[in-house]
Amino acid sequence: MNKRQARLFAFGSTGVAALAFLVLTIDSHRQFPKLTNAQNITPAVTHGKDVWHKNNCINCHTLFGEGAYYAPDLTKIAQQRGSQYLQAYLRDPSKFYDEQRHRRLMPKQDMTETEIADLVTFLDWISKVDNQGWPPRPILVTGASIAVTGNLPSDQVAAVAKSAHPPGTAAGTADKNPVALGEVVFRTASPACNACHSLTPGANMAGPSLAGVGTRAQQVVASSDYKGKSKDIQGYIRESIVDPSAYIVPGAMYSANGVSFMPNTFGKDLSSEQVAQLAEYLATFK
Amino acid sequence: MRYKSQSVAYWYFAVAMVLFGLQLVFGLLSAAKYLGPDPLLYILPFDVTKVIHTNLLIVWVLTGFMGATYWMVPDESRIELHSVKLAYIQLILWTLMGVTAVIGYVFRFGTGNKLLEQPLPHKIVIVICMLLFLYNIGMTIWKSRRFTTTEGILVLGLGLAAVLYLPALLHYENYTVSIFYRWWTIHLWVEGVWEMIQGGFLAYLLIRLSGADREVMEKWLYVIVGLVFIAGILGTAHHYYWVGVPSYWLPIGGMFSALEPVALIGMAIYAYSAMRRSGLAHPNTLALHWTIGSAVFTLFGAGLLGLAHTFPDVNKWTHGTLITAMHGHAAFYGAYAMIVLAMITFALPAMTPGRSERGSSIGYWAFWLQLAGMFGMTLSFATAGIGQVYLERILGLGYLDAQLKIQVHFLMLLATASLFSVGVGLFIYDFFRYAPRFEVSNEKDPVLQPGLRGAASVS
Repeated sequence: MNKRQARLFAFGSTGVAALAFLVLTIDSHRQFPKLTNAQNITPAVTHGKDVWHKNNCINCHTLFGEGAYYAPDLTKIAQQRGSQYLQAYLRDPSKFYDEQRHRRLMPKQDMTETEIADLVTFLDWISKVDNQGWPPRPILVTGASIAVTGNLPSDQVAAVAKSAHPPGTAAGTADKNPVALGEVVFRTASPACNACHSLTPGANMAGPSLAGVGTRAQQVVASSDYKGKSKDIQGYIRESIVDPSAYIVPGAMYSANGVSFMPNTFGKDLSSEQVAQLAEYLATFK
Repeated sequence: MRYKSQSVAYWYFAVAMVLFGLQLVFGLLSAAKYLGPDPLLYILPFDVTKVIHTNLLIVWVLTGFMGATYWMVPDESRIELHSVKLAYIQLILWTLMGVTAVIGYVFRFGTGNKLLEQPLPHKIVIVICMLLFLYNIGMTIWKSRRFTTTEGILVLGLGLAAVLYLPALLHYENYTVSIFYRWWTIHLWVEGVWEMIQGGFLAYLLIRLSGADREVMEKWLYVIVGLVFIAGILGTAHHYYWVGVPSYWLPIGGMFSALEPVALIGMAIYAYSAMRRSGLAHPNTLALHWTIGSAVFTLFGAGLLGLAHTFPDVNKWTHGTLITAMHGHAAFYGAYAMIVLAMITFALPAMTPGRSERGSSIGYWAFWLQLAGMFGMTLSFATAGIGQVYLERILGLGYLDAQLKIQVHFLMLLATASLFSVGVGLFIYDFFRYAPRFEVSNEKDPVLQPGLRGAASVS
């Protein structure tokens, strides 16, 4: 190969690669509206995006896995936390996380209520963009999606193990123990219950720990503070899942103005059967 | 120094050195925040130190590129620069832009778009500086009527770098579309035209330092440029994973990213064989260390560590973790920081009389401490990143809890970063140790003196 041929190779291959790249770019533009639900980019979403930029969020967090690696990825955060929770969090992050414990904390941002609301709307739009199913497993902010059964009292582990389907067989068949099925729902509902609730005593994540929730449910239903409709443990848990604000667990990180931060979408997204299984499962935590 | 106007390069290098030192201050601050808790949470939070750290990098490396170009073009075209005054005006404007941008970031005055945080007025000044620079270089070459392939590649690279900055000036309503075009600037810079610039400097240095045959060197330079662009342009696809673009970018990214190391292997072989063929002929062996070092470290940081996470099936788990920081630090340092330091080391003895052409022991300490430090930092990010991927992405431990479990790697990061900073400190000290004195010498380049090199032919 002489110098002339080398030059031809350099410019020729660059030209071919650039041409292919441009064709693919044009085709991508054709597909952007559908993949990103462009019809849902409302003025609130656009304003939320500006708030995202203005506060330099990307230099700590990642979105679609892009940004800095000092704070959690927020691609699907709007599906893990309801908008009430996110808004309250953005008003004052220090109410939710302890810098001494996690060794880092998000500084409180100087944002108006509209900015906060629109930022959350923007994050909600982001969470619905079709990004090839990433992340393959939910990225949690805190807590763990592992070893749920490991935290159960031993007799319940045995009960779950006995009723659970053997590995490799299909889940969800009617003859299975509702407790075991409820455990599956606890991990697989969208958003997953265990993204916010641990089953370890004292390990409060975005929601309160559900260790001992059966016992507490009994006390709540019996107490005079309780204004809800249910009479028993399962009923109370079902009510809390479908209508999270019916009874508010005390704590500024769980609710504001009498509205729970827990998403109120489970009544719609889960079948009544699944809710019942979940209640059976959680009622075992006494 | 054979042309008086080459002295402008010194002042570009001096600015680059100061900004490089400043970049490390903010880098160390950022690293310390990984250990936390952060006493500066409301004064200099992480997002501010990090944005200054990355922006200073871009500014100082570009300052170095410009200075090195102002040094190299008169040498290649054998003529004085078109306008020295314009070069100084450009430097002042450019430095003011950089300094005010950094001060602005402290007050959150930025666009919040990763790596393109410069506010619009600053972006416009950047474009003006680029145009002044390209005009000045273009006129110099045009007046000389002597145009070598090496400088042609360099100038084409710089010109394309300016063109590719243009998408960054536009505003996009759709976040996914804005990501799409952000990578036109960032990726096509660092894995495309900047590599072309690096290749240009590399060829210049190898021809001067080893006395390798120009025809041969320039032929292979073309081949390297071709390989860079075949893989680099379509390799942009690896930034299009999981961001809301069509799925065909995944296999394209996997395939062409795998080809990216080919060009870098070519570059390393190119440097090594040039040195082997002619022996260590040039007295400035320190510059030769930086030159070969740059080619080898690029292969390691950009090639090998990039390949480690660009396959979609791997990237699915590593995307957005400290694995990216591992690759980013080693790649940027090897490819761009080291090539600028090589050009500085090569040019400096001619501008600061009293300095030994062979380089001082301080210079060698600076080289090895930086190399060891950066290698250690890369390992720290790698071990932290592997831990993060396993705990957070695969086992499903929460982000904050996973970060607590990898604290020891942040300690290691801080230790090795300090080592690296000592190396950089020595380099900067060595740079300013001798006062500049700009004398035009008519004697020939040392490489052309008989007896200093082996049997290699003069280009």
